[in-house]
Amino acid sequence: MAAPIRLTVPGTLRYRGIAVRLVAEAARLVSSSAQRDPTDPLDNDVRDPFDLAVVSAFAEIFNNVAIHAYQRKGGGLIEITINPGERELVIEVKDTGRPFDIDEVAPLPTELDEASLPEGGMGIHIAKTMLDEMTYEPGPPNLWRLCKRLPAARAAVAGRS
Amino acid sequence: MPSQAFDIQRTPQETKLTVRGSLDINSAPQLGEEIDKLLANKPAHVSVDLSGLDLIDSSGVAALVKLYKGVRSSGGNVVISGARDQPLAIFKLLRMDKVFNL
Repeated sequence: MAAPIRLTVPGTLRYRGIAVRLVAEAARLVSSSAQRDPTDPLDNDVRDPFDLAVVSAFAEIFNNVAIHAYQRKGGGLIEITINPGERELVIEVKDTGRPFDIDEVAPLPTELDEASLPEGGMGIHIAKTMLDEMTYEPGPPNLWRLCKRLPAARAAVAGRS
Repeated sequence: MPSQAFDIQRTPQETKLTVRGSLDINSAPQLGEEIDKLLANKPAHVSVDLSGLDLIDSSGVAALVKLYKGVRSSGGNVVISGARDQPLAIFKLLRMDKVFNL
């Protein structure tokens, strides 16, 4: 396993973009995806399913920390540790804000129609569905652990390269 | 950074919202304010072009849901088109693709 990649940013949404870009690059390390324009430093294009899942999930967790743990006021740090493996990516997100009650997140309606379209509470659902594993340990410090694995067929290819 | 992730064009026939780049927690509040103004006019037909949208998060989805429900509740029609890649995956994950006819 490669050495962990670490980033610590203030716990506000202002730093979300930096963190998301770093995580996107780490996901590309694992997936070996080349789905971005290397000449465009602001390229947001995420097409590889592995990268897509990692970036989507992480962005939601960062939002959650900045909004719920730090109440949009900052005042603390978000410590991100990324462990890129050959076949998986593990991301830990640590904060010292308010603990979050993950059990209070309402499930999505099983049958969705116009009337039941939700206008909130979707972030944790997106993150959990996109990942293979997601755990949360309330603190302080609060710790999110996100894990995404390459599908077996792709992992075999990555192992040969 | 892109100056704005969206623009709104109004004609007598329709209101067209074009969203591009990243619609997320940093850009969605601004879109939400524009949606409030748009809904105040009770538009009869709104088209939403997502073909230039690369990334969306739950805040961006919430803004589009607000638009959809607001227009529909006043008897209007909303057509959402062009969703691809990550945004389409998110709408499918949330089971909104069928409601939005994506």
